[in-house]
Amino acid sequence: MKRMLLKRLLQLLLMAWSIGTLTFVLVRSLPGDMAYRIAAERYGDDAITNAAADAVRAELGLQLPAWQHYLNWLGELLQGNLGNSLVSGDPVIDSLQHQLGFTLALVLGGLLVSLLLALPIGLLAGWQRDRLADHVSLLLSTLIRAQPVFSVGLLLIFLLALNIHWLPVAGFGELKQLILPTLTLGISMAAVSSRIIRNSTASVISSPYYQFARIKGLSRWQTFCHHGGRNIAVPVVAYLGIQTVMLIEGVIMIESLFAWPGIGHALSHAIFARDVPMIQGSALLMGVLFVLINTAVDGLCLWLDPRGQAT
Amino acid sequence: MKSPLIEVADLSIQSAGQTITEALSLTLQAGVPLTILGETGSGKSLLAQAIMGLLPDGLSCQGSIRIDGQLLGTSERQSLWGTRMTLLPQEPWHALDPTMRAAQQVVEVHRLVNRHSAARSRQLGQQQLTALGLQPASQQLPSQLSGGMAQRLAFAAATAAGATIILADEPTKGLDASRRDQLVRLLQQHIEQSSSDNPRGLLTITHDIEVARQLGGQIMVMKAGQLLESGPAEQLLVNPRSSYTRALIDAHPANWPVEQSRPTGLAAEADKTPLLQLRQASLRRSDKWLFQQLDLTLAAGEIIGLCGDSGSGKSSLADVLLELLPLNSGQLSWSASVPRQQRLKLYQDPPASFAEQLPLGQLLDDVIRLHRLNASRLPAMLESLALDPSLLQRPSSEVSGGELQRIALLRALLLQPRLLIADEPTSRLDPISARDVTLLMVRTLRRYQCASVLISHDEEQLRHSCDRVLKLANGTLCTLA
Amino acid sequence: MKRFYQALSASQWLGAIILLLLLLFALLEAALGSADPARQALSQRLLPPSGEYWLGTDQFGRSNLARLAQAVRLSLLLALLSVTTAALFGVVLGVLAGWRGGWIDRLLDMLVTTVLALPGLVLILLFAAIVPGSFVLLYIGIAVTLWVEYFRLVRAITRQRVHSPQLQSSAMLGFGYGYLFRRHIWPYLAGQVLTLMAFGGGASVLAMAATGFVYVGLKPPTAELGLMIVELFPFYAEAPWVLAQPMIALFLLVLGCNLLATRKP
Repeated sequence: MKRMLLKRLLQLLLMAWSIGTLTFVLVRSLPGDMAYRIAAERYGDDAITNAAADAVRAELGLQLPAWQHYLNWLGELLQGNLGNSLVSGDPVIDSLQHQLGFTLALVLGGLLVSLLLALPIGLLAGWQRDRLADHVSLLLSTLIRAQPVFSVGLLLIFLLALNIHWLPVAGFGELKQLILPTLTLGISMAAVSSRIIRNSTASVISSPYYQFARIKGLSRWQTFCHHGGRNIAVPVVAYLGIQTVMLIEGVIMIESLFAWPGIGHALSHAIFARDVPMIQGSALLMGVLFVLINTAVDGLCLWLDPRGQAT
Repeated sequence: MKSPLIEVADLSIQSAGQTITEALSLTLQAGVPLTILGETGSGKSLLAQAIMGLLPDGLSCQGSIRIDGQLLGTSERQSLWGTRMTLLPQEPWHALDPTMRAAQQVVEVHRLVNRHSAARSRQLGQQQLTALGLQPASQQLPSQLSGGMAQRLAFAAATAAGATIILADEPTKGLDASRRDQLVRLLQQHIEQSSSDNPRGLLTITHDIEVARQLGGQIMVMKAGQLLESGPAEQLLVNPRSSYTRALIDAHPANWPVEQSRPTGLAAEADKTPLLQLRQASLRRSDKWLFQQLDLTLAAGEIIGLCGDSGSGKSSLADVLLELLPLNSGQLSWSASVPRQQRLKLYQDPPASFAEQLPLGQLLDDVIRLHRLNASRLPAMLESLALDPSLLQRPSSEVSGGELQRIALLRALLLQPRLLIADEPTSRLDPISARDVTLLMVRTLRRYQCASVLISHDEEQLRHSCDRVLKLANGTLCTLA
Repeated sequence: MKRFYQALSASQWLGAIILLLLLLFALLEAALGSADPARQALSQRLLPPSGEYWLGTDQFGRSNLARLAQAVRLSLLLALLSVTTAALFGVVLGVLAGWRGGWIDRLLDMLVTTVLALPGLVLILLFAAIVPGSFVLLYIGIAVTLWVEYFRLVRAITRQRVHSPQLQSSAMLGFGYGYLFRRHIWPYLAGQVLTLMAFGGGASVLAMAATGFVYVGLKPPTAELGLMIVELFPFYAEAPWVLAQPMIALFLLVLGCNLLATRKP
């Protein structure tokens, strides 16, 4: 337990360091007229003076030698000081607070949808290994996995919003508008996790210990409840950790597709606008979310599988 | 007279139209153990599975199976699982739920099948564990149990619901001699409690003639899906009718011919002209000392047997002698400098020591070319090891374990080794080829005057083949008389 | 001949054929195609397929055939480059770490933990942000995220092989590193590395499309699948067939790679 937390803490630090370093490279490689452009956006085209541009440069620390700038940059990051947006001039932390809620709603909704889809499909396919249900679920999963998340989203838009007019295409604020994005995320993830559940189910129910439980005298249902559930869940939950990568990547694409004002949207927008502090802040928050979900998955694994607790 | 517990008539097993075991009849009487003896792959495990009603998909059986005099179909026999008849698994580690603690695997049977209260179930489960000496391990997971403990736990779980007809499928596989005897006693206790109002049955399937001898009762000998002979144990084991049974009996180490040993007094001589000496050697694995302050002297050409229970560190000691493992303290010294390729090892699992998918001959050629050896010796060496030259055109996966182990020996002998360590070289072989390979190997090593260490968990086997036998136990070496 | 056929399973053959057809399409168009993928003709916007424009035209009147072929060439090139680079680094470093152990192993392990501390796409986006619209940085970003998988797999297998009886006995017989690697390590790596390469191909195609789709990858007027999809999205009602083309191409590319990566049962 302690080891696991230490490992995750190290991951958090390495994540912050790599984001800090990459965004530092970014800020040093901003083109020379960037300061002017930022000043123009902030103070209006008429107000651009060399003084205003110098002020922006100083704010970014561009007048310092690289090594000193780098240390300052990481120092600020460690103190949690994410700076102000180059575009709006507002503190980065304020906009992130606002966006986090939207992203969390999408993440939780997506996880829920994927669970509701993958669990019954995976169990059925595992039970019916190499029979019709298994083949159909493999085909569907293969077809969905061969598409990027945004293609899945586009297809859903065509199907549900444009042709049947059930749901709004984009926007936010209403619960109804959460449906398409979470459905997209959930379906993409379920395409993979349903196969993991299928494999785990198939291997557990054909295992010697599963058979031995029946020989001890337990009924089919008792065997499934007492020896199936936990053993099927262990590899599935462990795989959730790997799937977190998919989750975060999906969030970035889906938020962009549905104009969903979360952190992923903020990240791609900030990269487009070259708003370095905003890039750093949103990437960092993405990374923190990634590590936190992974930690939760680790905890769940430990709780489920007593083999991990002994060591 | 009461009807027999199990009565099987003309039972045959097919797979996709092919017969795997031929029509066979057997009767299991209360209180009389019945043992089916035969090599792996003779279809005897399938027989037990057919009786239980759990043949794998794709296999089917014909014939009639009566339990307690009733002619029962597959699903009817399945309804007797746990309460009337049960199957002891071949690999207890795999048959126990890896994520469930030991006690719970027994307690749940009392709770779910016998429908006792939670407290009563716990109590009954603990009683069973205590009786089997498993009390200290009750909160452990299967992976933390030893092979013997896992098998006893499986026994407790399999019989918790009251089953008194036990089918045991290779229950002693992988156990060393003392643990094997312990389990056999457990099975004997079960059958000894049989009475007219509590009829108990035991059908054991094994390849170990010693298990069959200890259990007594009736024996059936099977080979390649066919019944060779059957009869009372004491009669069949003394006066077998089939040559296969004879060979099985001869393959038991106690019946091996006494080898022409080297002159006695060699051990004393060894102190004068040692090939290598291990002094004050200590080796630790993680936080446990495998052995400490150990001394060992090996004379040139001497063949030592090394035995000990699994986990006692005998393989690690061998790796120390070959300098594959560094010592924590102490020293290993050679009387002369022997090049690396003359200190060699034979492994437990013969296929694992050859590169896959390449003809064995090519692998031998690689060695011959590397050391510029004389290839013309090969045919004579093949012949002396009773190997067909055509074997060398095949990859290791298409050659039997016994042949492969002899080819491994041949590959080592090409280099005229001064020291050869054979780590359980025959434990994966069937008893008849284990005997042949061991005896041939020892004779050949004597001829080559190659000092050797033979490692085995079977003391008797070593006594019949080595110059002296050492036992590694609790980190110290002692010489067996 | 029969052996050659049996080297791949049915679904692997299907994947290989899909990829070969896409490659053929992309190369033939380059060799024979007449249209310039960048030439605009605003009077001929969003035309349906015709004799002149086999696949119709886009919102600027550019030939869809030419643009699609260019995009497929770009995706295949990127996939090939990133996968080869990643596999090369992953295998060499993985074997080194698995065999040598010690400080090299610990150092590389630290590097891997750092790369894995971020979801791949975030890392790729950050690389892409350094020089907007740069193919090279996109390639570096993707290769950096991909090599980790090869490294971890190869390191694990190598460690296991190094302690295997067959390598140990060959080492005792006096064989050198080259022989040990060729006979006892590489045969166990080859199949798995090739599978990973096929998967990696699909992953890099997806990654480039994702950066294009969120508008931070390659810049217009380059024809890149993700970028084409996001640019054509506003015209879904007017010309759904135009939007469908890059989506189908992307689907086939990834499907081909994934099928090629399925293992024989």
